[in-house]
Amino acid sequence: MSEIITHAELRRLMDDWIARGGEVIGPAAVKPDLVQYARLESAGLMLSGYIHPANSIKEFFFPRSEILYRYKFTGKKIELSDVVNDPVKPMLIMGARPCDASMLPILDRVFNWDYKDNFYDKRRDAATVVTMACTEHDDACFCTSVGCGPAAEQGSDALLIRLGEDAFEVRCLTGKGRALFQGKTQPGERTAEIPPGPPLKFDADFVRKFTRDNFDNPIWGELTLRCAGCAACAYTCPTCHCFDIVDEGNAYGGARVKNWDCCQFSMFTQHASGHNPRSAQGQRQRQRLSHKFAIYPDKFGEILCTGCGNCGRICPVGLGVLTVLEEISNATPSLESVEPV
Amino acid sequence: MIVDQLRELCARLLSEGTAQVVIGYGQAAPGKPAYPVFIRRAEDADQLVWNDQCMTNLAATLKRREVKALGKPAVIVKGCDERALIMLAKESQIVRANIYVIGVECNGAGRPAMAKCASCDVHVPRWTDTVIRETESQAAAVRTTPSSARYADLEAFMRKTPEARLAFWRAEFGRCVKCYACRQVCPLCYCERCIADKNRPCVIDTSATPKGNFAWHITRAFHLAARCAGCDECARACPAHIDLRLLNLALAAAAEDHFGWRAGMDPEAEPPAGAYSLKDKEDFIG
Repeated sequence: MSEIITHAELRRLMDDWIARGGEVIGPAAVKPDLVQYARLESAGLMLSGYIHPANSIKEFFFPRSEILYRYKFTGKKIELSDVVNDPVKPMLIMGARPCDASMLPILDRVFNWDYKDNFYDKRRDAATVVTMACTEHDDACFCTSVGCGPAAEQGSDALLIRLGEDAFEVRCLTGKGRALFQGKTQPGERTAEIPPGPPLKFDADFVRKFTRDNFDNPIWGELTLRCAGCAACAYTCPTCHCFDIVDEGNAYGGARVKNWDCCQFSMFTQHASGHNPRSAQGQRQRQRLSHKFAIYPDKFGEILCTGCGNCGRICPVGLGVLTVLEEISNATPSLESVEPV
Repeated sequence: MIVDQLRELCARLLSEGTAQVVIGYGQAAPGKPAYPVFIRRAEDADQLVWNDQCMTNLAATLKRREVKALGKPAVIVKGCDERALIMLAKESQIVRANIYVIGVECNGAGRPAMAKCASCDVHVPRWTDTVIRETESQAAAVRTTPSSARYADLEAFMRKTPEARLAFWRAEFGRCVKCYACRQVCPLCYCERCIADKNRPCVIDTSATPKGNFAWHITRAFHLAARCAGCDECARACPAHIDLRLLNLALAAAAEDHFGWRAGMDPEAEPPAGAYSLKDKEDFIG
């Protein structure tokens, strides 16, 4: 027995959500050659047949730029005004890839392990996330190498799996998911098949050990020499979550703002003294991969990467997590041969 | 085959010591976009490829600290890339004699070919130490394309109403996440500290908001006016597919209209922003 929803019913569910004042986010053709997760004005704009959008759903929880509070100067007086309690609309994310939704438990920990980030949490509470299992993958996909997969359930409130041409099998995974699909599905005899994911491409445990033992290995600089030093990888990555806090305003007032930041910029670690502990791009690449495969796992027990492959697809010089890790794995076939420099 | 000649030349330059590094194209698999490789040993010359996926402008790698540390470079350029190289020399960023320039005839890069290729008039690089051409090629080194062909996309855009154009840029810049891929892959964006990174005082909002994004793209465009060599690498690198080519075309059209200038076309010509002439227009001074 399974629960089944037709495409028409699913579209109705999305349009109802919008009609009730909520927001629906889904993959859309925002330009003829560009698929991104975007706010949809109607369910009909949602796209199918994509492998992975060129952004991630991260920005709907952790926006690229967010005001923390505003300030105003009146003479010598400073007036602060809060925005944290501003209401957010109920948000339905429809058709996220499992590798995108998998970033939610990862970011939940980052934004709650110590300080509770109310900005992130209020969006998280307002969101219902419906994932769509992958039926296809491309060369850049590597979810299976990092403990994720084409029908992974992490972070998802309900999982849709394609069932023929006009229906999905619905697997409700949380109360939010059950509430969303309550009364919208039909029981069916058919059960959808979960398609195979991409083959294993590297051994994450090996990578973790390698990054720990090879801090000064010249291989980092060598493999990443072509890196242009932009943040296209990090900003399209579901899990990269570094940010900077800046004041933006003028003599009369302004706002304190939280903006995405990226370890691939030389400015990221530039000290006021002029010293830069990561002065070369290879060191910055090492940092990004170490954070994903050793630092975060040491702290939280999981890999800070869902294998979505966006970094590799989007990099202007064809250098993604997968590219570097495959090369490291090829260059050092066994751990015994890795000599710390 | 061009690639065989490239590999042979690369091996020779490295073994003779003419260059310490050959900056060329490598590729993970046929049909995939080629990327920069930095060959330092003659025996690695076979990593070089040459095909229609060699879109990257390798002149942009010369500004990078890690690349400068490799020693005297030999760099492979297409005609369009070479224009950036000429600009870098004009702006004293490179010393021509310290670089070995390998020109390769190109009849279009990308699949389908990049937009710039349709009106290309520099299929064969001219400012080189060596040029490698297709054996059968009869193409003239410099073909003249009418400026109307170069600016066709811009002219079509300019026929829209100002409101429609503003709405277009709002949508385009609305997708900007400030990853600065446009800056990082740009051969002419070589400032040691970009104005976008200055925070004492902060000149351009770092926020990826409409204000911060307009400020960034317009400032960058102005800074590249009459300097941008039109390689369109910024547009290609943008993960949000922002049509930066249109901005570049607007700059190029203004430079050509007002100063008869095309950046990097003539190694002897002085750039309008870098030279004084009695014929310079003064009518804008009120």
